[in-house]
Amino acid sequence: MNRWRSRVAAVGAGLALGMTLLLGTAVGLAESLNLTSRAFTPYRTCTITATPVTTTAVNDTTVRQGAPTSNFGTITNIRVQSGVGSNNRIYVRFDLSVCSPAIPASATVRLATLRLFVTAMSAVCRTLDLFPVTASWTETGITWNNQPFGTALNNPPSASRTGSFDVGTAVGCQNPTVGTYISGGTVTADVASFVSGGSTNFGWMIRDDIEGSATTWTERFSAKELGTVAQAPQLVVTYVTVP
Amino acid sequence: MNPLRRVAGVALLGLATTVFGAAASISLLTKSLGAATAATPRCTTAGLTIFQNLSVGTVVSVTVAGLPASCGGALAQATVNNGSVNSSGSTTVPGGGGAITVVLGAAVAVTAGEQTDLVLTGP
Repeated sequence: MNRWRSRVAAVGAGLALGMTLLLGTAVGLAESLNLTSRAFTPYRTCTITATPVTTTAVNDTTVRQGAPTSNFGTITNIRVQSGVGSNNRIYVRFDLSVCSPAIPASATVRLATLRLFVTAMSAVCRTLDLFPVTASWTETGITWNNQPFGTALNNPPSASRTGSFDVGTAVGCQNPTVGTYISGGTVTADVASFVSGGSTNFGWMIRDDIEGSATTWTERFSAKELGTVAQAPQLVVTYVTVP
Repeated sequence: MNPLRRVAGVALLGLATTVFGAAASISLLTKSLGAATAATPRCTTAGLTIFQNLSVGTVVSVTVAGLPASCGGALAQATVNNGSVNSSGSTTVPGGGGAITVVLGAAVAVTAGEQTDLVLTGP
C-alpha cells in the first residue's frame, strides 16, 4: 500500500512540474508579442545654413549678363533677373559633408528643400527653374561668360529642370510676400542622387523660366555675405536610414 | 524495489523534463523577439518638413509639417545637435495630424550644419 502511495505522489509531483513549465512558456510568448504593438517612426534632418559669412560650406553668387566678366561672389544679395541683355542667374552649392554624422550613401532621402529668403520681387508671378550643375565652379571665380551652363539664354531648356517655384506679388502666386523664406524649393531627387553617389554635387543654377523678357523682372534674395543668420540660404535634408 | 529509490528515480525524471522544457521555451522566445524587430511599424513614410525656428542666431524650436492623420496622438520628440551642444523637447501630434512646433529645452547656436532627430512614438 505504501509503495502505491509513493508512486502516486511521485507521478503527481512530475505532472505539477510539467504544468508549471507549460505555463511559463505561454507567459513568455505573450510578453514577446507585446513588443510589436507600437509604431516607432524616426527621422533625421541635416540643416545646412550659410553661416558664418566666411563659411565654405555654402557658396552663393550671381552671374550677370550685363557684366559678363565680373564676379559677384561677395555681394550681399543674390538675384534672378529676366530682361533684354540684363539676365541674371544664381549659382548656389551646399557642402553635404558638413552633416555630422555623415548622411550614409544607403540613406533614403525623404525630402530636401532649398530655402532662400526673398527680399524683393516682381509685380507679376515669375517661375524660377532649378537645374543641378554638372561642372565645378567657385564663388569668387564664376562669371556670366565662364558659367558651367554657358551664355545662351533659356539654356538648359525648362523641360530639363528638376524643380521650380513661383515668386511675385500677383494674387495666387506661390510666394507673394517679401521678408520670408520661399516655399516650393524641393530638390529631393537631386540630393538623393548626390548622397547615393549617382551624381556629383556641384549645386544648382536658378534662372527665370523665360529669359530675355521685354520688361525687366527681378527676384532678389539674401546672400551668405549679408551676415544675417535668420536670412541665410539653407538646404534642409530629411532622411531615414531604415525605410 | 525500495520506495525511496523509486521516488529518487521519478525525481530524476522530473529534472530531465525540466531541462528539456526550459530549452524549448528559450527557443520560442528567441523567434518571437526576432520577428518583433523586423516588423516595427511606422505611422508614416512621408517626407516631413522639419524647419528650425530661430531667435537671435539660435534655434529655439522646430516646426514639423506634413504629418498625416495616421500619426495623430503620437508623441513627437525632437533633438537638435550642432556638434557641441544638443537640446530636446517633445509634444503630442494632434489627432488629425498637420503641423507641430517642438520647443527646445535650451537654445542651440546655429552653425553651418545641425542635426535634428525626430522620433514619433505611437499612436
